[in-house]
Amino acid sequence: MEQSVVHVKNVQKIFGKKSETNFKALDDVSFDIYPGEFVGIMGPSGAGKTTLLNVVSTLDTASSGTIEIAGKDITSMKQKELADFRSDQLGFIFQDFNLLENLTIYENIALPLSLQGISIKKIKPLVTQVANKLGISEILEKYPATVSGGQKQRTAAARALVHEPAIILADEPTGALDSKNARSLMETLKQLNDHHEVSIMLVTHDPLSASYCERILFIHDGTIYKEIHRLSDQAAFHQEILNVLAEFSSLEMS
Amino acid sequence: MLFKLLSSSMKKMWKDYLVLLFGLTISIAIFYMFQTLAQNKTFLEENALISPIVFVFHAGSFILAIVTIFYIFYATSFILSLRQKELGMYMTLGAKKNKVTKMMFIETLMIGMISLAIGLFVGVGITEVISKMIMNQLNFSGEGFQPFYPSSLITTIIFYVILFLLTAMVNAWKVAKKTVLELLHSEQKADILTSKGWKTAIGAFISLLLIAIGYYVMIHMGTFLHVGVIVAVFTVTPGTYFFFMALLPFLIRRVKSIRSINEKGLNSFTFAQLRFRISQLTKVLGTVAMLIALGLGAMAAGLSFYHNTAIQASLVHANDVTIHQPTEEELSEIESWEFIEKNSYSYKVTEDGVYFLKNDLQNSPPSIKTYSDDPSALPVEERVTTPLSQPEYSQGEIPEDWLEAFRSELLVTPSLFGERELYILDQQSFEQLNASAEQIILGKVESFTDHIEILKQIDKKHVNLAKAYTGEKPLMIGSKSETYTSLKNLASGTIFMGLFLGVAFLMMMASVLMFKLLSSATADIKRYHMLNKIGVRREKLSNSIHKELFLIFLFPALLGFVHVLVGMEMFSIILIEPFTKFWIPVVIFLIIYFLYYLLTVQMYKRIVLPKKK
Repeated sequence: MEQSVVHVKNVQKIFGKKSETNFKALDDVSFDIYPGEFVGIMGPSGAGKTTLLNVVSTLDTASSGTIEIAGKDITSMKQKELADFRSDQLGFIFQDFNLLENLTIYENIALPLSLQGISIKKIKPLVTQVANKLGISEILEKYPATVSGGQKQRTAAARALVHEPAIILADEPTGALDSKNARSLMETLKQLNDHHEVSIMLVTHDPLSASYCERILFIHDGTIYKEIHRLSDQAAFHQEILNVLAEFSSLEMS
Repeated sequence: MLFKLLSSSMKKMWKDYLVLLFGLTISIAIFYMFQTLAQNKTFLEENALISPIVFVFHAGSFILAIVTIFYIFYATSFILSLRQKELGMYMTLGAKKNKVTKMMFIETLMIGMISLAIGLFVGVGITEVISKMIMNQLNFSGEGFQPFYPSSLITTIIFYVILFLLTAMVNAWKVAKKTVLELLHSEQKADILTSKGWKTAIGAFISLLLIAIGYYVMIHMGTFLHVGVIVAVFTVTPGTYFFFMALLPFLIRRVKSIRSINEKGLNSFTFAQLRFRISQLTKVLGTVAMLIALGLGAMAAGLSFYHNTAIQASLVHANDVTIHQPTEEELSEIESWEFIEKNSYSYKVTEDGVYFLKNDLQNSPPSIKTYSDDPSALPVEERVTTPLSQPEYSQGEIPEDWLEAFRSELLVTPSLFGERELYILDQQSFEQLNASAEQIILGKVESFTDHIEILKQIDKKHVNLAKAYTGEKPLMIGSKSETYTSLKNLASGTIFMGLFLGVAFLMMMASVLMFKLLSSATADIKRYHMLNKIGVRREKLSNSIHKELFLIFLFPALLGFVHVLVGMEMFSIILIEPFTKFWIPVVIFLIIYFLYYLLTVQMYKRIVLPKKK
């Protein structure tokens, strides 16, 4: 079998100290993401989506279990190694863009490359290339405050992509966008996934955004409750997602 | 109801308000501290070596007032930035514009008044503590100086009440001008540099021009005098502000546009932070540069007066050491001194005369200080040249330069020998004279001030000697060490003023810059956290902060330092060498400034950097 990009095995995340009443945010979660996959993580609020993303993105540490990204065990890494690992292997897209508003769009995108010490000559073509892919080559000299929300998120996506990370971690990337911009962003991500083999892990509670994925893991009370694959067209998959979510609400009721 | 909401959210942001209150309080305290000196005319006139001292203080007051106005306007606009989003929210919920405007007005005024009350209290306190400390250090009694000085208190109150009223009005006006949406989204607005190229160029040119005029006037202070001081104040101060408003942003942008520097590692971020901060900090940096100039200048001038006393004492005396009738003890003591020149002269004292041996005088004629006809020229050191051709001289016949040597160098003065007449005798007559032969040792040493304690003992011995000859204890004999000591006492008032003001200005400078950096730190948290998320190591972020703050500290220090360097030239009309031991105040300043830089970096890092896990 192919080597997975993300390998999560028996991961637990417990909040609170031993003496206090513990809260298991993640309870024995295991899954794999393979190169070129577009995987969605869904679940109701408080199910553990964000915790899972934080743990995978090395921003938080798991209480037990192993997480490997691109073949490297991140659970045993130190703070410094983790930072380097993030800048090397991970691309982030956040709900609130998280762009540096005192840098131009170009500088924002170039930042991960500069951080890796890539030579100036190489930076420019890479930035231009990724900006073309995302359709933002016209606004490179502008500042984030002067462009639209959709353009901001494309900038964030470009920044996440520019250093060709092992995987892109997207946390509700459409959360702050209107439906038109959201759809267009998801289509772009889908395209990147289809044509450029970019692996993406998307955390969302929006069924429409999730319907662009190939596979969706549903989380409930800290465990993987269900996993569905996209077999037919997007509309049918969307419906399937809505059905699972309906199941959740009946679970909550009972 | 609205006011209740307001006060509860003030509690929520108490840390920000504490920073603000601290900044305002220090400003008020320092302003008062300065006024206690500036308005105490009798103290100034009695204790200063500079005759137009009151005028100098007026100029100082003026600069301080400008600096304070900039600072207070900046600090109170911070209240607005803390508040506007909340005010916008109230308005969306239905609060009327005029109500919200009034709230802003009252809040600004209230904070102003609270800090005024605390500031005056603190002001009296630190004036008391600091003046006592310096006076003790200098052994200066400082009579007439009052830490609690009602007229200064009133001036401070009037000045700040007007200032706070104005700033409250400005804040209210700013709120009134903005729409609800602008208020609500005020935080998201990025600080983009909109200044146009040609505007910056003109600003930069004006800045350089003004500073150049100011420098020219200060260097030629001898020609311009009072007018010069006024011109310098009115050119260097605005020039400094223009420098930070136009020239510096221009330079930073230039550096940032060099891609090989900008796109290396975290530099693009560091420079962006710097550019962004410098555009925000223009007025603060101008203020800091001026305060550094004033503080360092005051300290340097004060200490320069102190160190010039040795030089001034040398104006009167060509020789450093004069010992009448040296004892065994004294001779062995001076054995180890590094003499440049050492002569001894024989003399005899009778009931009615002091007789010198001509041979000794002729063999080693002493050096004296002679004044030329040009009153502005310094006296020059010369050896006595008039030959002693007569076999003997009585008092009236002795040439003028020899008399000068007897008076100022050999200390043959009425205080020592009373009414006795002075004679110069040849060997034969001298030997026939029925009195014991005595010695005078006259000399120059490498470092006069190193031996000042011994020289003072010798002065005491001379006083006792005088009592034996005249029956009276004179106040002074007229030695160089006495001249030096009395000049030093005279200068201590000026030194006191210099150090006192130096400390005051540097404290205010510290509070201004620290206030500014820490008050904007909250807004930076997000940026640093984001960078950490995308994989920037903590050390790199920390380095970026060190670098950025270092540059921010560096620019005003450099300009302030150059101001002082040129400004000290002004004192060349009063002091002989204004730059004597100039390095001492500079080192003191550098140490304080550097410590203060480290402290700011630490506090800033604690606020903005993600916590270590």
